[in-house]
Amino acid sequence: MLADAYRSETYRLLRNRTVLFWSVVFVPLIGVVFGIIGNAVLKANADKLAGEEMPPELMVAMAGGPMNLAAELVSAAGNVANPVALLFLLIGAATLYTGDYRWETWRLISARNGRVPLILGKVLSYVTLALVAMLVLVAGALIEKSISAGFFSRPLTFDAGNGRIADAFAMFGVSGLRILQVTMLGLLAGVVGRSLLAALFVPVVVSVLQALSPFALMGMGVANDAWVTFLVNPGQGYDVIAAAIRGGPDAPMAELVVRGWTSLLGWTILPLIGALAWFQRQDLSKE
Amino acid sequence: MSAVIETRGLSKHYGAVRALDGLDLTIPRGGVYGVLGPNGAGKSTLFRILLGLIRPTDGSATVMGGPVGQVSTMRRMGSMIETPRFPPFLTAKQVLNWLAAAHGLNGDPARIEGWLARVGLTEAANRKVRGFSVGMMQRLGVAAALMTEPELVILDEPTSGMDPPGIQEMRQLIRSLAVDDGLTVVLASHQLLEVQRVCDRVAILNKGRLVLEGAVSELTGSGERLRLKLRPQAAALDLLGQKGSAEGDDAVMAAVTRAEAPAVLKALIDRGVEIEEARWVGADLESIFFTETGSVQAPEAIHAG
Ligand SMILES: Nc1ncnc2c1ncn2[C@@H]1O[C@H](COP(=O)(O)OP(=O)(O)OP(=O)(O)O)[C@@H](O)[C@H]1O
Ligand SMILES: [Mg+2]
Repeated sequence: MLADAYRSETYRLLRNRTVLFWSVVFVPLIGVVFGIIGNAVLKANADKLAGEEMPPELMVAMAGGPMNLAAELVSAAGNVANPVALLFLLIGAATLYTGDYRWETWRLISARNGRVPLILGKVLSYVTLALVAMLVLVAGALIEKSISAGFFSRPLTFDAGNGRIADAFAMFGVSGLRILQVTMLGLLAGVVGRSLLAALFVPVVVSVLQALSPFALMGMGVANDAWVTFLVNPGQGYDVIAAAIRGGPDAPMAELVVRGWTSLLGWTILPLIGALAWFQRQDLSKE
Repeated sequence: MSAVIETRGLSKHYGAVRALDGLDLTIPRGGVYGVLGPNGAGKSTLFRILLGLIRPTDGSATVMGGPVGQVSTMRRMGSMIETPRFPPFLTAKQVLNWLAAAHGLNGDPARIEGWLARVGLTEAANRKVRGFSVGMMQRLGVAAALMTEPELVILDEPTSGMDPPGIQEMRQLIRSLAVDDGLTVVLASHQLLEVQRVCDRVAILNKGRLVLEGAVSELTGSGERLRLKLRPQAAALDLLGQKGSAEGDDAVMAAVTRAEAPAVLKALIDRGVEIEEARWVGADLESIFFTETGSVQAPEAIHAG
């Protein structure tokens, strides 16, 4: 029955062009366009900028040093959970999770399927959408990098040494989990509030507050790496796990990574359980 | 006569509003069953409970022998609750494909087209439902309810928003579902004439309670009266006394039973009354509806106080 829920949800999602555009096409597209424009501007002003102080990567790039696409892959995979992409992916999630309230279609499907499979079908269907969107984002980033490399005649290389491919996969997975975590807040808010706007704004507001929480906690004398700071803010959990995957001298201690996982997983699973429990008891009288 | 739906003391309260108030209803298997009642009587609330969409505040309901809300039972039912709505970006055909997937049915294109044809939507099959009229939505809702090949169909006002030919087609479709396919159809409607034509039994609800239940033929039969076209009217009225009432200036209505009729007719003729025409007139559902939903107002007022 989960299979039925998943199949029908995906069938409908594939025909919802608005959601597909905003979730899958829009962010990669503007990423490519702005990336290319940025590099073109950089190229045009290359003479003026000569001698100025710049980040080392930019120096290498402008000097026409080689571009390692494997390294760019890791960085692109780590970048799919950026705030802008998150926001647009949230639109897809909110529409998917609250569509049956908005279109008043719960009555058509919920009489013939269990409530838990119905919600899980939505979540799985969203995971599929997010995976596609993430792949498109990564592909878009690589296309943009390759084009931009042309401006400075940088040779393209692919050095997958140091386990870079494994890193890219790990980064991709964790970023996917971060996206899911944010949208789970949307699921909970959407089900409880029966509304698209709740599913959209609650995660945004909560995520912004969470991002600000370390400062507030620091003001109260709580250390940046304390359990509380992690538990309040899954975004910090994600950052720490990502830093651990990147490795190098900045890699965090294993203890902090555990805190990070606890927070990120907790903020994913608990809202899901909450939404399932709420939906099971919910009266679908006026969707 | 096994029951397909049975409710005992079924209640649903929304704050102070008693949408259903201790409803005991038994709906037999087979045939078409009409649930009538004024706006807010609790018809849709009853249907939503039967489909497991909302929980009763109190009481119980069984559907085809099982408790409501059990998926295996629900999969043997088809339903349309109030004016159906659909994701606006889907076409009519896509809606049925989507629901076929949701219900785990095979979405064979020929079958889907068959259902669209049966509800008269062949020409609109590839149009987005965004632009559908209420009547078209209603037709699509009926197709969605029926394509699951259920044993029991619940239709909440299936003809609302439909044009007269549509209403007639729907009546024929519903009759054929019961007669040819052997389904049990339970419908709510405000079209009393339609209900009288299409339903075998009816229940009348008012303010969440059952006020009358029975076979349509019995209900309309029990209010039967004899309409007599005769001359002189005054002599006939005099003889009939309490049982007679004037109809125009050349007829009277006699509230007599079929057993009493021969004696009454003989008495009239003996008095020299000329009877031109005698005809049985049944009570129609409409007059029963008004009597029944009006007559419960007094006890309801006591109850509320
Ligand atoms: N979600 C709800 N919240 C509050 N009250 C409700 C809700 N749903 C129904 N009601 C109330 O319950 C009562 C019964 O409503 P219901 O929709 O069952 O009536 P109905 O018989 O279907 O009427 P209609 O003929 O207008 O369709 C009404 O007074 C209605 O206002
Ligand atoms: Mg209703």
